[in-house]
Amino acid sequence: MKNMKKLPQNLRRTIMAIVAIAALNPALVFAQAKAESRVLLYTSVPQQLATQFSNAFMKKRPDIRVEIYRAGSTEVGAKIAAEREVGGIRADLLWLADAPVYYDLRKRGELYSYISPEAKAIPADLKDAKGFFTAGRLINMIIAVNTEVIPLKDAPKSWKDFPGVGKKAAMGNPLYSGSNFVTVAAFVRKDGNWSWFERARANGVAVVRGNSEAATALAGKEFGVAMTLDYIVQGLINKGAPLSIVWPADGAISVPSPIAIIKGTKNPNGSKAFVDYVLSKEGQEFLVKQQVIPVREDVNPPAGLPSAKAIKFMPIPYEWASDNAPSIREQFEKTMLQ
Amino acid sequence: MMTAHFDRRYLLMAAVGVFVLLIVIYPLWQVLFRSFLDGGVLSLKSYQKVFSYPSYYRALLNSVWISCGTAAMCMVLGTLLAFVVIRTDVPGKKILRTLLVLPYALPSFFAAIAWIQLLGPQGYLARLALQFFGFATVPWNIYSAGGIVFVLTVHYFILVFITVAGALERMDASLEEAARASGANTYQIMRQITLPLVLPAILAGGLLAFIGALANFGIPALLGMRARFFVLTTSIYYALAIPDFGLATALSSMLVLVALVTMALQFGLQRGESRFTVISGKAVHPSTLKLRSLRYPLFLLIAAIVVFISILPILSMVLTALMRYWGAPISAANLTLSNFDYVLKFETAQRAIMNSLFLGAVSATAAMFVGTVISYLHVKAKLRGSRVLDFFATIPYAVPHTVIAIAMILAWARPPVSLYGTLWIILVAYLAVYLPFAVRTTNSTLQQVHDSLEEAAKASGAKLFPRLRDIILPLARPGMIAGWILVFMPALRELTVSILLYAYHTETIGVVVYNLQDAGYREIAAALASIVMGLLIIGNTIIRKLTGGVAGF
Repeated sequence: MKNMKKLPQNLRRTIMAIVAIAALNPALVFAQAKAESRVLLYTSVPQQLATQFSNAFMKKRPDIRVEIYRAGSTEVGAKIAAEREVGGIRADLLWLADAPVYYDLRKRGELYSYISPEAKAIPADLKDAKGFFTAGRLINMIIAVNTEVIPLKDAPKSWKDFPGVGKKAAMGNPLYSGSNFVTVAAFVRKDGNWSWFERARANGVAVVRGNSEAATALAGKEFGVAMTLDYIVQGLINKGAPLSIVWPADGAISVPSPIAIIKGTKNPNGSKAFVDYVLSKEGQEFLVKQQVIPVREDVNPPAGLPSAKAIKFMPIPYEWASDNAPSIREQFEKTMLQ
Repeated sequence: MMTAHFDRRYLLMAAVGVFVLLIVIYPLWQVLFRSFLDGGVLSLKSYQKVFSYPSYYRALLNSVWISCGTAAMCMVLGTLLAFVVIRTDVPGKKILRTLLVLPYALPSFFAAIAWIQLLGPQGYLARLALQFFGFATVPWNIYSAGGIVFVLTVHYFILVFITVAGALERMDASLEEAARASGANTYQIMRQITLPLVLPAILAGGLLAFIGALANFGIPALLGMRARFFVLTTSIYYALAIPDFGLATALSSMLVLVALVTMALQFGLQRGESRFTVISGKAVHPSTLKLRSLRYPLFLLIAAIVVFISILPILSMVLTALMRYWGAPISAANLTLSNFDYVLKFETAQRAIMNSLFLGAVSATAAMFVGTVISYLHVKAKLRGSRVLDFFATIPYAVPHTVIAIAMILAWARPPVSLYGTLWIILVAYLAVYLPFAVRTTNSTLQQVHDSLEEAAKASGAKLFPRLRDIILPLARPGMIAGWILVFMPALRELTVSILLYAYHTETIGVVVYNLQDAGYREIAAALASIVMGLLIIGNTIIRKLTGGVAGF
């Protein structure tokens, strides 16, 4: 009986201890910064990059606190859609790799127009004429090769050859990833039809979750080639993975990751300051150190990666992709996934 | 009977009723009614889509059979293992038990990755098999429906194992002894006495496994895509990506409907089974079965199973954490501790561990408390309306976590009560997600406690709260502790709810792991998951030491 009484007390003490330890953590303290000094950024930029970048910004502007919400573009999209139902988007800034989303937001009148003085150095096709959004970094859809599976000389040199690889080739799913969606739109628009995908399907090209899954499965030798993003592959190469990047002869898909201010922002000045920093020479040079291709013409690209000018790019029909997003996704599902 | 007793119990019911209303019903209603909207007008268009597109109703059928297969395999595996570990004299019972529970702490996403690493086309075991047996290709394919059922079973059998193990421990030994005294042999006793007694627990665990498999997203998302095999949860994610809110919620409603039908079936099966309740509360533990010459062969068999389903996946994750990059050949040059170093210095990861410990401990404790009260009202007090309460408290288990997160935004992000952007909205969501675990596990526990114990106390004049404190709680404690662990472990690694609800400084472990792996840092993500696994093992050891081995697993 004595034992019975002692037991729950001990258990209770253990639980209380866990709760007490956890309760000491700062997230529970509700001291939120004043709205004027706080800028909330929703982004799909990799966590470390986004954190380091905003820290660099806050060092320059200690009066502004950047708070980051980072998730995949589908999650950010779902969050925004839910927030729209309950009083509007909460973010001040949006920085995603899903360019068509910005066309949709512009149409809905949910973006704030701001032409940054820094935008002068950025080519016209990387910014919205009315300043609703401006590309903040460039990421490129390329062909990555695991040279231990397929020797570089036998690897496809262009997107046209890619489906011919068949089962040893992988691509990310546009239903998961914004940059894959842009790629699908570019391919379909270029051919005016779905023949590239029909060929890929017939040859057994694998569809995997997203770009990081395609790159890691490639490094794990499950595939010989993959359609994926340059900076993920470059990161794996830097760690010693036997991968190579092929810049496709028919043009890489350059996915500009635009930055935009949300119309409902409570801190337009802080948001503008952040946009200025992203587009500034200093900001772009910071990104270059993190293997990102810059959007400014006066900043050199990272070693090993070509400059934006030197790469051949495939034109991307953003407006069309944005207007037809549901039907493009449905058709992809029918062609590649059923 | 005095009316005062009735009043208090209804008061208790009203209190938990409000809790369930705020945490479960109101948020889910916010989602449900949007499935009947099309551009602000009432419409059945989304449901029409579900049934007119083959890919959607095929996903529905796939979900059902995958979950049935998983539940069946979980019930067989979980019951057999629980029986051997609890009721026989097989050596090393305690350590076997701990090791069996451990893989449940792996995020399901990592469980899938670990199995790809072991059994996938380039997996360690696959390559071993190729060398050993001289196959041209391995005779299995992890990227298939069968692979999904296998990984789901390994992931969820623990739900059956824990509920059945609890039931076997609480079982009254006198029934078996009476049978033995009347000359029944071991086989007859097992079949006619033991099995019927633990059947409610097997079914309760099976239901948890069924619905768990139904609502799981990570495993079918990783293993199903290459086989072009889709289930409801993956289709819901696609609907959100389109983005088609109406379709996503309509698909979610289908998922909940399947779960409700299954729950109703289980409720029906268990009706009128009061003959299987057992007067408990005595200190007599059931006798252990002497295995004699089978003792070591059986130990080897169980040990082999443990190595296969627990140790190998965890080792494979730890190995990933020690690699310079995912897929690197195993050699001294490619092993490194830098991933652990990175995580330990990563401020966000430290904060996430604190947040998740808090969320896990608080949601497990609160959910178990409310769950026990609901089970008491339903199973013991049998108040009118308590069955409905029990039912509603179980529904969120079948709702995909993404949908629960959206429901929470819709319900709790608006003034006057805006929890959005704080840790509290994640806590509320966790309570909704894990309340069903608490209700189902305490339900089967209390079913075994015979009414006569509480009635005796009532007859002796004990009031409601003393009765709960002195009779019900002590008897339900083993089940409550098992349930607490069943909530705490998955809460510690929860991802899908947190990823939509977290904000600056309220990151959880799941969020950090996801974001690391999404950037291609799978080895760093594995290092963080390994650290969490280590914390769990240490925490478990401390709990066991503090409670003299009664709590913990």
